[in-house]
Amino acid sequence: MTNSTDLERRYRRLLAFYPKAFRQEREEEVVSVLMAGAKDGQQWPRLRETTDLVANGIGMRLRPLRRPTSWELSHPAPSVLGRIFIGIWLLVLTAFLSQTESLWGLTLLLPAALQFYLGFRVAAGIERDGETDGPPSVRPPGLGA
Amino acid sequence: MSKRAVQEVTFLILTALAGGSQHGYGIINDVEQISQRRVRLGAGTLYAALERLREDGLIEVDREEVVDSRLRRYYQLTSSGAERLAEEADRLRANAQVAISRLRTNPTDGAARA
Repeated sequence: MTNSTDLERRYRRLLAFYPKAFRQEREEEVVSVLMAGAKDGQQWPRLRETTDLVANGIGMRLRPLRRPTSWELSHPAPSVLGRIFIGIWLLVLTAFLSQTESLWGLTLLLPAALQFYLGFRVAAGIERDGETDGPPSVRPPGLGA
Repeated sequence: MSKRAVQEVTFLILTALAGGSQHGYGIINDVEQISQRRVRLGAGTLYAALERLREDGLIEVDREEVVDSRLRRYYQLTSSGAERLAEEADRLRANAQVAISRLRTNPTDGAARA
């Protein structure tokens, strides 16, 4: 019994990599799946389980960064301009830092690229489904059930 | 964009739910069976996929149960999920048919025969 509670505690610790909202809604459910899949006498999460939980938890935290918000999709003009402005500003900062400080400044290229990508997504999203406000992924799915 | 081919994991999960509603651990076992033991989903991968499918309106929560003081949430396909799975299955079948018929009429030396 102590083994299974130890294991459970360790699984729960790994779930800390997930966003809080996800944990509030899903933690009990995910723990029950993990415990159902555990072998008799298992005390520690397996390596494969650990990497799977950590990678997906971090992935889920980063997800909002990779998607335009619904506000942006309903206000395309200021959003695209804003994204482009921030992107350009980051590029200028990158150039400045990589010259005066170190080449680590080049890591700013990543968020800059992200800004341009999100700006592009907002613009493209609007172009594609001009009639709706929401992002494509939350379009009402016909009549469920 | 929405007509992009679905990933295999997604396809397998939708296929598992096509037989009726299932809870998380049931889906993992069913996917393993459908894929002939080739795909064993980790809980992290499963729930990332379920989140996406739910946001896209392809699946929904059917009901919840508590078994041995553990929470089980059952998922089921929505009508658009069933539609999407049918489209994808048709697409895969069409591709496979072309592949099989081409291999029959024009087998590459040696390997393709096996």
